[in-house]
Amino acid sequence: MLSFIGRSVVQKTITLFFVSIVSFLIIHLAPGKPSQVNPLNPKFTPEILERFQKEFHLDKPLYVQYIYFYRDLFTGKTVSWKDNQSVLAKIWGRFLNSLPLFIVGTLITWTLSFPVGIRSAIHRGGIYDQTATFLSYLLISIPGFFFAYVLIIFVVTRFHVPVIGMETFGITNASIAHMIMDRIWHLLLPSVLGATGGIAILSRYVRSQMLEVEGQDYIRTAKAKGLPPDQVHYKHAFRNALLPFVTMFGLILPGLIGGSVIIETIFSWPGMGRMAYEAILARDYPVILTVNFVSAVLVLAGTFVSDLLYLVVDPRIRL
Amino acid sequence: MTPEKEHINTPDYIEAPSAPKHTRMQEFGRMLGQNRLAAIGFFIFLLFFCCAVTGLVLTSGSKPVFDPAMIRLEEKLRPPLSKPNLKALRPDQVPVFNIYLMGTDDLGRDVFARMLQGAWVSLTVGFVAVGISVFIGIFMGGIAGYFGQHHIKTIHILFFLCLMGGTGLILINAVFAGTALLLLCLSTIVFSLSARERSAEEKPSALKALFLGNAVSVDTLIMRIVDIMLCFPSFFLILTVVALLPASIYNIMIVIGLTSWMGTTRFVRAEFLSLREQDFVAAAKALGIGNFRIIFRHIMPNAVAPVLVSATIGIASAILTEAGLSFLGFGVPPPHATWGNILSDGKNFIFDAPWLTFIPGIAILIVVLSFNLFGEGLRDILNPKLRERH
Amino acid sequence: MSVKRFFIFAPILLIIVLLQSYFWEPTYEEQTKGNPARLTEFITGSIGDASLLNPVLAADSSSGTIDGLVFEGLIDRDKDLRFRGRVAESWKIFEQAFFYVNPSVRIPELGSADAHTLANFIKRAQKASKIKDPDLAGSLTRITDISVVPPRTYTVKKQVRSSAGVQPKTIQFTVTAPARIKLVLNQVDQHLFKNLTRLLGKNYFESFHGGNYLKCDSHLSQEQWAAFAEELMPATEHNPVLLFHLRPGVKFHDGYLVSADDVRFTYEAVMDPKNLSPRISDYEPVKTVEVIDPLTVKIIYKRLYSPAFATWSIGILPEHLLNSQALKKEALRLGKDPKTFSLRQSAFNRHPVGCGPFKFQTWKSDQYITLDRFDDYWEGPPNYRQYVYRIIPDPLTQEMEFYAGTLDSYSVEPHQVKRLENDPRFQHFSGTSFGYTYIGYNERRKPFDDPRVRRALGMAIDINKIIKYVLYGQGERITGPFVKQTDYYNHHIKPLPYDPEGALKLLETAGYKRNKAGRLEKNGKAFEFTLITNNGNDLRKAILAIAQDAWKQIGIDVHTDILEWSVFLQERIYKLDFDAVVLGWQMDIEPDLFQIWHSSQTHPYQLNFVGFKNKEADDLIIKIRQEYNHNRQVEFCHKLHAIIAELQPYTFLYVSKWTAVLDKRIVIKTVDAAGAVHYEKITPTKTGDYTFYFNRWVKLPQVPNFMDKG
Repeated sequence: MLSFIGRSVVQKTITLFFVSIVSFLIIHLAPGKPSQVNPLNPKFTPEILERFQKEFHLDKPLYVQYIYFYRDLFTGKTVSWKDNQSVLAKIWGRFLNSLPLFIVGTLITWTLSFPVGIRSAIHRGGIYDQTATFLSYLLISIPGFFFAYVLIIFVVTRFHVPVIGMETFGITNASIAHMIMDRIWHLLLPSVLGATGGIAILSRYVRSQMLEVEGQDYIRTAKAKGLPPDQVHYKHAFRNALLPFVTMFGLILPGLIGGSVIIETIFSWPGMGRMAYEAILARDYPVILTVNFVSAVLVLAGTFVSDLLYLVVDPRIRL
Repeated sequence: MTPEKEHINTPDYIEAPSAPKHTRMQEFGRMLGQNRLAAIGFFIFLLFFCCAVTGLVLTSGSKPVFDPAMIRLEEKLRPPLSKPNLKALRPDQVPVFNIYLMGTDDLGRDVFARMLQGAWVSLTVGFVAVGISVFIGIFMGGIAGYFGQHHIKTIHILFFLCLMGGTGLILINAVFAGTALLLLCLSTIVFSLSARERSAEEKPSALKALFLGNAVSVDTLIMRIVDIMLCFPSFFLILTVVALLPASIYNIMIVIGLTSWMGTTRFVRAEFLSLREQDFVAAAKALGIGNFRIIFRHIMPNAVAPVLVSATIGIASAILTEAGLSFLGFGVPPPHATWGNILSDGKNFIFDAPWLTFIPGIAILIVVLSFNLFGEGLRDILNPKLRERH
Repeated sequence: MSVKRFFIFAPILLIIVLLQSYFWEPTYEEQTKGNPARLTEFITGSIGDASLLNPVLAADSSSGTIDGLVFEGLIDRDKDLRFRGRVAESWKIFEQAFFYVNPSVRIPELGSADAHTLANFIKRAQKASKIKDPDLAGSLTRITDISVVPPRTYTVKKQVRSSAGVQPKTIQFTVTAPARIKLVLNQVDQHLFKNLTRLLGKNYFESFHGGNYLKCDSHLSQEQWAAFAEELMPATEHNPVLLFHLRPGVKFHDGYLVSADDVRFTYEAVMDPKNLSPRISDYEPVKTVEVIDPLTVKIIYKRLYSPAFATWSIGILPEHLLNSQALKKEALRLGKDPKTFSLRQSAFNRHPVGCGPFKFQTWKSDQYITLDRFDDYWEGPPNYRQYVYRIIPDPLTQEMEFYAGTLDSYSVEPHQVKRLENDPRFQHFSGTSFGYTYIGYNERRKPFDDPRVRRALGMAIDINKIIKYVLYGQGERITGPFVKQTDYYNHHIKPLPYDPEGALKLLETAGYKRNKAGRLEKNGKAFEFTLITNNGNDLRKAILAIAQDAWKQIGIDVHTDILEWSVFLQERIYKLDFDAVVLGWQMDIEPDLFQIWHSSQTHPYQLNFVGFKNKEADDLIIKIRQEYNHNRQVEFCHKLHAIIAELQPYTFLYVSKWTAVLDKRIVIKTVDAAGAVHYEKITPTKTGDYTFYFNRWVKLPQVPNFMDKG
């Protein structure tokens, strides 16, 4: 076990190092340079551009810039070029904004996929199965922003309540209960939109796993023994089908730093996706590289955790 | 008396085994018949394909039947099934059949013509992107699965790095450093060749052992590369590259393809790991068939099932990604029309001209849904564990 | 089975919890009509967030909007585009002029003279009653004081660069300056020295060689020597002076009084290289900023530069919060290095303090910025209690919030204006903005070097149709590079007609004939090129498609390309790698067009990227820059306008109109001396926006009935 952990950690650190180099190269070799000033303002001169470049070390060779950047990152000093705020503070703030969206979305996905997937598997080929398949694929096939607009227009014109933003504007004077409920309402639509894709995929996966397990001989035995169907399905089949999903818990980690740009733009949600998108357009290198780095760390940590969980949960695997 | 062979009453023919004999296509057709949703999906897919091809024929060329790029500013935002204002238009601007089948957009272009042109473009984007990703995925997965335990020597890695570094440096005009690295590269080749000659004779020194020793296995290397690619959130990678490279339809296809091969690699590798131990592979090796032939001709057809499923679903997701990129402003540049383009151009007019959003939106919905259902059906069909037991 | 029950109840519970929150939501009606406080707030929507709330550092428009409300400058423009004082109560513009005494030259009627003799000579000439030359007489009457600056010797260090990209070298000059005559005038006179030659002799200034008085410790080339001689020892020098008298009693939001020290501090903050201010080039011609007393500030310029006056509308920073001691204290408090801590890193940029009508309250990143009314504002507090700047990046949701009543104004699209025109709840008005859209041709590439070709290309596009259908009438034709509502614009120039036949004829004279396939070609080569623009702008995308189609009709094959903004700028425009481009200029009213049209600005990374070079135009541009008299400036501008319209380096498309749609209940409230309250409708002013009287806006519970003025 320990040797596995050790080997894994070493491999992942090397991977992280390569990821940092690759992302650095992509950003710097891409065309276009960061420009703080609106260059089509007729008062702009090339000397200002030069001064900016010097200030942000852009005139030094690439490897020097690389060392500067990562030194600043690990000491926590990286600063965004657009508005001079500490990048880590910015990311943390946006992360806290995206977190409720992510949590609610994941909750919706997981609590809805399992019952649907299990029932589909049990009644394979029946009406329920076909309807569930159709509906879940319907949700995943609508272009995201089209669905978002349709929903927003529907809710706003029908119910006359605000849906965009993290909270209703101007509600700061109301009671705590009102504020919490207000937040929950604003979370509803965006997380439903974010969850639609996940539900389809996850419920399909649950279904196929359940079907695979149900085809095994011991389930047949259980049925033949005359056990009540609930026991057969939930006590025997489901527990064994659950195996890959335990490992999927680890893969949730990378989702923390993600965030759909499209949903956040439409709902004016100040989240990670939008920040990273604006940083790419403004060539705000510190922000882009830091987000990349943090996301890589989370992905690698996530796969590590899922490997570990796999070891723990499946007694057949021995190292 | 000569001993006669016992005359067994054998029939004139050998009776065929009693298992039903179906070709793959027949089997496919039968399963499709059982799974109604997948059948519907398949038919819609065929319909879409025909539409796309006819659309391409009807809208290309310099004097097309339906012109998707003809701007008629006076006719902007006309609703579907409306008649054109013949007085204001030149004779070559009047649409075929004298009617705007799906209305016009905000520059007066015929939406029906644009949808036809867009069908083909969206289809191409989907197929090419998925084609690239499947090709890379099968290749990488196959190598990782089959040659998994082979090790790469340190000296080979050194050689490869020097080669890449040398060419890279030469490309950015650091000629001196570049040629130095290339020379180092050559010396590694010489070194390994000479070492191979002498390897049988003497015990290698510690330094030689370091260079000639096994560094990492092929499997680990390829899986680490997959991990590196997975560390980049795919939509952001696509966005970064599309925003920074000149906008063209080919760039979008290639980028979507290059960022989605990781899943296929994993599937293929997993299948290969199990198939590699099968008897037919051992038999092929015993016959002396070359490695690559074994991979691509013998094992691959058996491993292709999950790839097919993820490919169908991949086409659907490529079309949706292209729509998402158009929404952010980075899609295919004008005057090409894609369904994603039409949809995102129309979103500004959702109150004035809702048909501009609903027509392409619903069209994308139907086509993507059909792909997804078909892919899902394929998964059921091709999964041997789920087959009916006879 | 408990597992099964869990699976049934968990999702149902979750859905119920989520959906019941709907019942706690205040509806839009409750937020707007049922909320009386709503009437005292003005909420506006924006697509982008501000970056730094500091007028000296910020360059984006969102920060600019907020800065305009929180900070105030010395002057700004009134509704007729004339300057009016804000923090400054009054001002005087005059100049000091210098010239070196050249004792070796003979002056007619005097012979060679030294400094004092010369000074007396000019004094006598002033008093003389009969001066035949009217220009000379005019110049002489403007001189209010003549004095002699004694000769002195000093050293000065300068930086010289042998070639681009190499680090500059520091060299030292020893200057032995002879005596100078200082003339103080009560007005700026561009032609002073030209007129003085009529008194002092034609060669008086020409024969002065500054280089004779310089010594340098290192070797310089001819051009470098001449350049430094011109800079350090010019024969004549104009130093325009701006003298501002500040209004007494203007306070910052924290109660401190605004004084001339704050003005000087603002100037120093702009010029400090550590601050990386984008406005440095505006203040580069300033020589010194002197504080004469707490309410008087004197600004001396190095040379004639008439746009200088308008630059003092920049918001004034509070010196007591941002000077070096304050910054040091802040650095130590935050645990940062005081030596490298500059204005850019200060928390002031997230919590600004100025002297404008609104006080900063909160800023939630990427959500909203709120400003409160400043009750001690010198002109009286504004009527709105609060101003909120909401960041809503999607235009469609902005529109929906506007309909619902939780936004008071947003950036309206032309087609939406059409729809809202008939809605009784809203009023709308529009005016022309400062800036125009154009198609620029790269004159360095054939065939765009031929003005006939450029003109023909312009004639082939039906621009009136674009204005009518794409802009829904929210635009006007423009024929030249000046702002249409100013007098600098020459209204006599007729716009290019839409005439494809005429275009074809013109192209024929340039050598382009239609071939068998209908395409234009010259000498066997087909006429084709690429038209590019940036992404993110639907109007430019539409123009791209329309222009392509229009040119296809006359047989020109045009490819189009849309590029991301940064790539577009850095890789194509700045590297001068384009054929034709659709772009726009956002400008100021000042007619100084040096950077866009002067022939010296045609190198890579400069703004005359089309490569327009014309000697007459160059002369006019320099003259305009140095002319302080408004009428003469207008004359020069009209001439320049005519030249540019003739040569068509751009196809000038249109100037767009901004449109504002507001709730009809928002009106201007004024209280007259007797205490009676009057309401008037908001009308747009020439200043290019409608918020001119913003401080006097108020939102009433009902739409008022305006009485006819009778």
